[in-house]
Amino acid sequence: MAEATIPTFMRGKDKIMSLSDAVKTFIKPGTCICPGGFSYTKKPFALAREVIRQDIKNLFVTMNGGASICEFWCAAGLVKLLDTTYIGLEGIQPVAYSVRRSIQDGTVDVEDYSNYGYGLRTVAGRYGWPFAPLMSEFGTSFMYHDTFGKMGLRGKKADGSWIHPSIAPARAAVIEDPFDGWGLRPHAFEGGDGTSNQTNALEKVRESTAYTGNKGVKVILVPPILPEVTIILAQRVGEKGTTRIEGIWGPDNEQAISAKYCVAQAEKIVKEEELRAQPYSNTIAMQYIDAIVEVPYGGFPGQVPYYYDYDWDFWRAYTQVNRKDKAEVNKYIRDWVMEDEWTFLSSRPGDGYPTITGTKGLQRLFELRADAMFGYKPGLARPL
Amino acid sequence: MSVIRQSDPKKWTHVDDTEYEAYCKEKGLDPEKYTTMELLTIAAARQTYDFSFIFAGTGLPMIGCMMAQHTYSPNALIIMEAGILDPKLIEVPISVSEARGGYMCSTLSNMADTFGTFAQRGFCTFGMLGGAECDKYGNLNSTAMGGYYSKSARDDGKTGPAVRFAGSGGANNIASYADMGLAMMVQEKRRFPEVNEYVTSCTGSRGPLNTPEDRWHMGLFRGSGTTIVSDLCIFRSSPETGELEMSEIYPGVDEQLVIDNVSWSLKKAKDFKPFAAPHHEELKIARMVCDSNRIYLGRKTKRELAAEK
Repeated sequence: MAEATIPTFMRGKDKIMSLSDAVKTFIKPGTCICPGGFSYTKKPFALAREVIRQDIKNLFVTMNGGASICEFWCAAGLVKLLDTTYIGLEGIQPVAYSVRRSIQDGTVDVEDYSNYGYGLRTVAGRYGWPFAPLMSEFGTSFMYHDTFGKMGLRGKKADGSWIHPSIAPARAAVIEDPFDGWGLRPHAFEGGDGTSNQTNALEKVRESTAYTGNKGVKVILVPPILPEVTIILAQRVGEKGTTRIEGIWGPDNEQAISAKYCVAQAEKIVKEEELRAQPYSNTIAMQYIDAIVEVPYGGFPGQVPYYYDYDWDFWRAYTQVNRKDKAEVNKYIRDWVMEDEWTFLSSRPGDGYPTITGTKGLQRLFELRADAMFGYKPGLARPL
Repeated sequence: MSVIRQSDPKKWTHVDDTEYEAYCKEKGLDPEKYTTMELLTIAAARQTYDFSFIFAGTGLPMIGCMMAQHTYSPNALIIMEAGILDPKLIEVPISVSEARGGYMCSTLSNMADTFGTFAQRGFCTFGMLGGAECDKYGNLNSTAMGGYYSKSARDDGKTGPAVRFAGSGGANNIASYADMGLAMMVQEKRRFPEVNEYVTSCTGSRGPLNTPEDRWHMGLFRGSGTTIVSDLCIFRSSPETGELEMSEIYPGVDEQLVIDNVSWSLKKAKDFKPFAAPHHEELKIARMVCDSNRIYLGRKTKRELAAEK
């Protein structure tokens, strides 16, 4: 086999790239991109900031687990399509304002799933399944709404190719359970059902004629997610791609493995052997990682479990900023990311918003370090 | 269902009285007088059972489940959808995924696994949620008002929904699998319509009981009804019809105010009773153990702001 045909995952150290090269290589205008992490935790913010620096527009963002990266991208006007479950910033801002405004003013088109519905799509994507079975979403408006379908983005063109290669031909489908609910617990185990479950309506469900017109248990099938690129943050990545995510995984492992390419932002790139000494703790196999970027503290202003805590004061101030005029927010976010990540990390933390200690730059990052026993910084001042 | 609650405050997490007084002084709080958010938190915790599974959504449920763990339900297992099972909460999390929410938990995994291994398998007694709108049968809308569709999928020439909310997140799934819904909401007439424009999650019966419109006849194989804890009263699903009824009313709240703040003709539950005011021991824990920074408790409702004026 000629050297040029060696698959990426066999090329070893070639995977280690600079932040700007990784983004330039894998993320193009219109790319279907899946940001990892969950809300404030383990979000690959360094990669997200580089996307803003390179001004990559018309992104199709598919995501589960909180909207903080999508919020920055919507603020910078980079998002066109959104396939998601939740656009809030949880406890700090119930609805991420730039995302909300972009949906309301027609800049962004959005398709909604529930978290488990989407989570099962990532499981299907991970295992290469054609679909996964879902037992919730029944009885709700999810069943009757399909944005991408109404936009004509589903299905095939006359030449037989997919209209949009990252959008499934149907949002979901309902089938009659060929096993008549046999697998649904609580089940008639001898001596009880063995769970704490106290309500079992399976017999009523067997009488249900909803969705198909026939009596019986129904199952929703959801399609896999097949993003072109997933970006994740991992505490440690081996030089050939073996990845260890510590703390809450959120949707990361499934989303990374579902994608065509995965770019990993690492707190530290380490020797493979360091991770292979305890292979049971590694979460993503080496061949699924296509590029590795080392950015210590690159998860700022978010939290990276066991490494550092989120910058509460930044988020509190940001949720005031993002309610300003759209053009002003756009200018703010483009200015905030600065010309490169190192300049950003050494000057932006603690800059331009009130903090209790008054520290700035690397000193502030140092101050946010987590206590290993907790995974966060106990007693971090979080004034409302 | 069997109900066990730890109602002896001596067995709750201990807070020293002198420290509490100093704290109240520092924060400018009356040690005996409660705010609306404190009332909501305490009311939600009182609904839970010990030895149950509390699947907590984001927002107010974060402090609701923490309050439950430190008082009435010390042995209840808390589940958070990012992958957390049975944490011991010592600082209130602001997200269902953050490390504060995972402290000393039994296992950490991923999102699909949490819903699958715990909720789908039947380890979900209470589905604790927040929502923007709640209708007559306990359906919550946390997605959109003024038309769901965004611009390119609309036919009415508008640029998008009038108001877009956060979307389901795990709310739909938590509501689908829970034995009982338990939602915390601020009550305003426009937030309590007779029928929701968009249904994100069915926490209650979904439609009239024993008709093709109820949750089970739509295909959901769990659930028994819901409890909605508002800032005026507590609603419960009627066991006969599935309709939300006024079940408990807070001290000092006029029944007419509750009736005026829902859009359907509200009935009183057969076992309607007044809600006992939050007491000293509960306030101590809500304030000092759960949220000493007042991240959630420091928020004020429109009604409170209007009363201040």
